[in-house]
Amino acid sequence: MIRTEELLLNVGPQHPSTHGVFRIVVKLDGEIITEATPVMGYLHRGTEKLAENLNFTQIIPYTDRMDYVSAMTNNYVLCHAVEKMMGLEIPERAEFMRLIVMEMQRVASHLVWWGTYLLDIGAMSPFLYAFSDRERILQMFNELCGARLTYNYMRVGGVKWDAPDGWIDKVKTFVKDMYNRLDEYHNLVSGNEIFLSRIKGIGQYDAKTAIDYGLSGANLRSTGVKWDLRKAEPYSLYDRFEFDVPVGKNGDCFDRYECRMEEIVQSLRILEQALEQFPGEGETMGKVPRVIRPPAGEIYVRIESPRGEIGCHIVSKGKAEPFRLKFRRPSFVNLQILPKLLVGESMTNLVTILGGIDIVLGEVDC
Amino acid sequence: MQHFWDRPLSWGTAGIFVASAIGVLGFVIFFVTYAIYFERKFIGWMQYRQGPNRTGPLGLLQSVADVAKLLFKEDTIPKKADRGLFILAPVLAFVPSFAVLAFIPYTLELQFADLNVGFLYYIALSGITTIAIVVAGWASNNKYSLLGGMRSAAQMISYEVPLVMSVVGVVMMTGSLNLREIVIAQSGYFWEWNFLPQILGFVIFLIAAVSELNRTPFDLPEAESELVAGYHVEYSGFRFAFFMLTEYIYVYAIACLTTILFLGGWNPPIPQLDFVPGILWFFLKFSVIVFFLFWIRATFPRLRVDQLMGMAWKVLLPLAILNIFLTAIGIELMG
Amino acid sequence: MKGMLKGLGVTLKTMGTKKVTLAYPDVPIEMPDRFRGIQYFEPDKCIVCNQCARICPTDCITLTGKANPDPEKKGKVIDTFDINFEICILCDLCTEVCPTEAIVMTNNFELATYSRDDLYKDKQWLYENNLNIREDNNNIGSPKGGAK
Repeated sequence: MIRTEELLLNVGPQHPSTHGVFRIVVKLDGEIITEATPVMGYLHRGTEKLAENLNFTQIIPYTDRMDYVSAMTNNYVLCHAVEKMMGLEIPERAEFMRLIVMEMQRVASHLVWWGTYLLDIGAMSPFLYAFSDRERILQMFNELCGARLTYNYMRVGGVKWDAPDGWIDKVKTFVKDMYNRLDEYHNLVSGNEIFLSRIKGIGQYDAKTAIDYGLSGANLRSTGVKWDLRKAEPYSLYDRFEFDVPVGKNGDCFDRYECRMEEIVQSLRILEQALEQFPGEGETMGKVPRVIRPPAGEIYVRIESPRGEIGCHIVSKGKAEPFRLKFRRPSFVNLQILPKLLVGESMTNLVTILGGIDIVLGEVDC
Repeated sequence: MQHFWDRPLSWGTAGIFVASAIGVLGFVIFFVTYAIYFERKFIGWMQYRQGPNRTGPLGLLQSVADVAKLLFKEDTIPKKADRGLFILAPVLAFVPSFAVLAFIPYTLELQFADLNVGFLYYIALSGITTIAIVVAGWASNNKYSLLGGMRSAAQMISYEVPLVMSVVGVVMMTGSLNLREIVIAQSGYFWEWNFLPQILGFVIFLIAAVSELNRTPFDLPEAESELVAGYHVEYSGFRFAFFMLTEYIYVYAIACLTTILFLGGWNPPIPQLDFVPGILWFFLKFSVIVFFLFWIRATFPRLRVDQLMGMAWKVLLPLAILNIFLTAIGIELMG
Repeated sequence: MKGMLKGLGVTLKTMGTKKVTLAYPDVPIEMPDRFRGIQYFEPDKCIVCNQCARICPTDCITLTGKANPDPEKKGKVIDTFDINFEICILCDLCTEVCPTEAIVMTNNFELATYSRDDLYKDKQWLYENNLNIREDNNNIGSPKGGAK
């Protein structure tokens, strides 16, 4: 029996497929991984600690920088937590604006995932296809709030800007176009036999493991667990709209792919209905005290971000600044299953599995 | 060119050999420059982009600028690398790639060396490049490049087998390994070209050839998203340029080979069109093959190592052997 | 095989379609009015209320005031006003709280320089940055008066 030397390989923090500055130390036997140790924290900025010296309006731009692919949901979770603590009333129009931008953000975020995932697997074109469509969403956000990535759009009690003239119609056209674009995406990629053979049966786990590891989002739903906070604990106006929660069966990378692609369709469905019911006029800012001082106590709220359950835990002592602020970041939690999935897989599957989990390093390291 | 071979070697003929070798080198470098340019243009267009368009008119000087940049770059050799092998590897990769061009017949007259075993010569020499890639991967003393080198050794050796086997059918139909005779045997209408009677062989040849070239979807040795850059991760400057040059010269060689073996070489699709010079037909077919390579690169994702090896040994090789068998039956039945 | 051919069809079709890229450095990008670019500062309007410096999440604004040179008038006028664009995140909060709209956003976004020192912009520089000033400064969401 010939015994071969094990190879200790540092994947990252500078590596094209770790989606940022993530590092995995893998032990390789040939091309097979025998041990994987994720190392994170290269992008740690201490958001939670910084927040303790900032008032709530000032924290909002910091949340933009956590999950920078989906800043709108981060904005929302913080504002929602404070509003719930203070028992604020949000005008309907503001709530609609929030919901519309959050669903647009979900589409944009899944497009980034789709493009980069295919890039990991080796196809170059899907990345640029996805980004050309995401660009349209970013342009609309730019018109709405003046930024393309770090929106700082929501405020405690409402939203900063009302929709500019003709913006709602633009979104309507976009939703219509996006359905056609999705068909094109499926033609380009989803039927490709090479692609399917790369992701079918890879990184498989069952529902129990997923729940034990605290996974959420498409990572959980791919195992067949129908858990979407928009349905399970409706926040915002989600209880007014009709949409399905796509679930997988096998919990492999292919099911996660299918789930996310279907989620785009469901988001478009929500958008269609929301744009139809969008109130013609109204306030976009509720009645908010001059200084935002949540009463002493604590609160945990959670919403469904494109990556899973994002939660915000605020401990307040009745001051303008939080005493302690903690974000439950879905990427960070979902990443915990990685070492388990990687053992016994090849180097090539490493990028397939890591990409399938869909992490954003700004959120992992926070 | 052939008659030079038959004469005794004198200073004059030696001079002609050297001059024509330099001529081919110049032409091939020109091809590589514009193959890279058009590759980037086509892939750009397929991705809603413009491709290079800033250096020179329409970006035509982009590759020239890139090469100039590589030339002026600092020549770095990692401290812990195996110095001798590290320097040797790019040379070892390039020389055979250039040497295989000698036997390609562009037209009936234009051929540098008329070998009786033309195709075997190609396979034998291109095998040396595999060694160079392994050497490069090993000498760099980098784990990624080592993995890339090992992958490429496994891949190129596996795919050489179906590549050779798929051509056997053509050789049986022609009764010769000489590339010129293979083309001559295909003269006539385009359905008499080998790609229709040998459709199975043609498909296997194409797949194996793309794999031999290390191009998408078989670009595992340099799989960017896994191995960063594979075997040439430590190379920079002109040594890196040599690896790129080698790769594109093989694109050139494989496109020429496909044209010759399966698409009738310099023959026009219908004999009535023979007033157009054969060389134009040759390069037209050649361009179609090269475009096809760019096209699949813009579309397909990458295979996995085990799938790649499985495909070579479990799918392509049995099919190639079946193709030989079917060809033998065909020849027996139809004379 | 069918899926692959479909994919090839998509890329081939795309080859002929309109390109989406911009000729950016040659053709400047027109940003929408609400775009948050480098601030414009008008010293005459400033009442030295310090709210911008206080709301700034990254503490990138430093300002000092001096007594009004005109003895008839009360209050202060601005003496120095600096924004450190190394850490400014262009979050829009300073323009949101400014009661006199002395500081407003513009649509200019090109901040690349060869030296970090160039990123400290003073009162004069910000005053001269007077192109593409944002027209609609509608501060719906501002908690007027800022925090504390």
